[in-house]
Amino acid sequence: MIFPHRRPPGLLLRTVTVTFVSAAALLAVIFVAVMLSVSKQVRNTAQADLESSQRTFAAIQLREQRSMRLQATNVAESPTLKAAVDTYAAESRTSTAFVQAQLLNTIREELTKVADRVEADAIVVVDGARHTLAAAGPMAAAWPVGHSVPLVTDPQAVAADSIAHIGDVTFRVVAVPLMVSDGAAVGSLYLATSLDRRFAQELGEFAHTQIAVVTTGQVVASTMSPEGAREFEKTVPLLEANAGTLDLQGESNAYRRLFSVGDTAFYALTSIDDAARAAVRQTTSTLLLIAIGAIALALVASIWIAHRLSKPIKSLSCSLHRMATSRQFDAKLPLTGSSLELDTLTETFNALMASVAAAEAETQAAYTAAIRALATALDARDPYTAGHSERVSVLSVAIGRTLNLSEDDLEVVRLGALLHDIGKIGVPDDVLRKPGALTPSEYDTIKQHTVLGARILRTVPFLSRHVAIVELHHERPDGNGYPHGLVGDDIPLAARIVHVADAYDAMTNARAYRPGRPSHDALSELWNASGTEFHAEVVGALARALPVTTIIAPKEAVAEACVA
Amino acid sequence: MRGALTAAASFALVAALAGQTPDSGTIAGQVKLTSRVRGTPLPSNVYQPRSIANHDAIVIPEIKNVVVYLKGVKFKGALSPSRPEIRQEHESFVPRVVAVTKGSTIEFPNADPFFHNVFSLSSAATFDLGRYPMGREKSVTLNTPGLVKVYCHIHSQMSASILVLDHPYFAMPALDGTFTMPNVPAGTYTIVGWHERIGERVTTVQVTRGATSSVDIALPVEDFQ
Repeated sequence: MIFPHRRPPGLLLRTVTVTFVSAAALLAVIFVAVMLSVSKQVRNTAQADLESSQRTFAAIQLREQRSMRLQATNVAESPTLKAAVDTYAAESRTSTAFVQAQLLNTIREELTKVADRVEADAIVVVDGARHTLAAAGPMAAAWPVGHSVPLVTDPQAVAADSIAHIGDVTFRVVAVPLMVSDGAAVGSLYLATSLDRRFAQELGEFAHTQIAVVTTGQVVASTMSPEGAREFEKTVPLLEANAGTLDLQGESNAYRRLFSVGDTAFYALTSIDDAARAAVRQTTSTLLLIAIGAIALALVASIWIAHRLSKPIKSLSCSLHRMATSRQFDAKLPLTGSSLELDTLTETFNALMASVAAAEAETQAAYTAAIRALATALDARDPYTAGHSERVSVLSVAIGRTLNLSEDDLEVVRLGALLHDIGKIGVPDDVLRKPGALTPSEYDTIKQHTVLGARILRTVPFLSRHVAIVELHHERPDGNGYPHGLVGDDIPLAARIVHVADAYDAMTNARAYRPGRPSHDALSELWNASGTEFHAEVVGALARALPVTTIIAPKEAVAEACVA
Repeated sequence: MRGALTAAASFALVAALAGQTPDSGTIAGQVKLTSRVRGTPLPSNVYQPRSIANHDAIVIPEIKNVVVYLKGVKFKGALSPSRPEIRQEHESFVPRVVAVTKGSTIEFPNADPFFHNVFSLSSAATFDLGRYPMGREKSVTLNTPGLVKVYCHIHSQMSASILVLDHPYFAMPALDGTFTMPNVPAGTYTIVGWHERIGERVTTVQVTRGATSSVDIALPVEDFQ
């Protein structure tokens, strides 16, 4: 089918589209607002996390240092160790190499015994001049005997914490003195922890952050990638505060200096962007879920509303369609009660239809009047048949009423009876007004008036129901009627009524060739022919109706019919 | 605070010359501890040695931990061995420094109501007297000259030093730092002032017959680290 114009979308589609678009716009605004708030929150959270990490670290470091000191102190209380160190110091210039080696071995033995039990990569004993006497533990090799290793201590720090740089290895050192005789120290014991990647990883796993250990401007250990560590190394000298944000490899990071020992500082870093990504992902999925729910709800609601609106409109248009096809313009459209606007529309439409119906009725009345005028003119061709159609009409209605026909049917009977002989317009005057007997061919011509009348009526649409009366009002129950020779019940009731009324009026009125017969004569003749020529119940109905109809003067009936 | 013993007393010429051999003179002098007695500088103030709360311990003046002796002296005569005592009292050795001639025997009585031990890792005398309770005493005879450091295996902070010499020319200063070393044959000597922790100061002294040579020794020596 080709539509000259694009059909506009349905109410449902419109409603759904509007709902969807507005819901989507609203959700988009919410999404942007939430995202902004989330990223701000993530930034704050990252800083807060680092701050709490720092506090935790401080506490743990304190505890760990205490534990390391305790371990060191316990080891330093070994009398053998002290005696060996002190004796070695006293005899370093006097005794033989063999004895000195024995003394150093004694010290190393003491250290080796405890090396596995202390949390240090190396356990070292140095003399008063900080020359290494012996070392044990996995990284003992970094502390060769006889070398002096300077310790870097934070002047402000109260802890026994210091840093030792040996080659490219950086150690965190807990040092305690070896004391004899009333507080005199003969040497020191070191517990050294290597600040390497493993150390940073342990810290990092604990803190769930990146860890970087920076000593004299260099990153000696970190959990970061080598590139990240290099970039951080360049950034460190520029850091002003102990906490803040910095950019590493294009990503925003929160950093915080956890603590520092000597020339070495421990930094925690956490990627804000990473945290933001995770938060955004989570928020997005939540919002998506809400969005799907909201849109689904909106769609359901809009479909329901659209349905509520379109259903009465549809029923209204159905009613209209039915009205248009049946041409029943006087029927009123029912009020849907769904909305004020729709009911107003219906009422307006009903008012419009009422006026259309009035116009239609006027048109019909004009038609009817025209046809009746025609019928009257026809009757007037023969003085004997003047007023015949009017009388048959009145009589037929009376019979129909007696037979309890509906008002609608009575109306059809009235107009049908009025027009029943309209076909005689095509019958020549000489045949129609012939006083004597008709020849068979003349009789056939007369018979043609039924078919002719039907043909005339078929040209007028609103007279379609009357065609049967005009065409069949000469059919007989015994099948000897014309034009089709229908039998019994095949003949419509309206046609039977008009048949009886026509015969009665013909008999009671004078013709050119005979005088009019009295009513009871005519009735008894009708009775005699009932069952064969006429339908018995119709004749009965006529008998019952007559006392009323006979009073009506033919002239008055004509006048009345014209006015109607 | 200990140390900083600056005895202001003027040194006295001790004229106890009775029984002095004709070719000998006397060395007299004073030892001054000019600085705080200290060992290795403490890396921190957090270390609490477990024996520190020993209020009953006898406080030995630092000057009593000093020995003055001549170095490189060949002594021909017979040495008279001594028998000094180092008590174990209040978790310390008292006295902490003793100087003896070789062949001397050191007694180690235990005066504490708990076990003590005496051992040495020194090359001059390596021994372990075992553990013994209050009232017992053990002794060790030292026949090799040198420094013998003794410790207690039970109480790690206890230590004492025994300087074993193969000649009788040594002295321990009095509380005011003064000392007298009689009967030193005339000649030029290297004289050492030795403190068990601070170390030693070496100087030379000229001894003339019948005279008293005076030597002042200031400790610590400047190059001691």
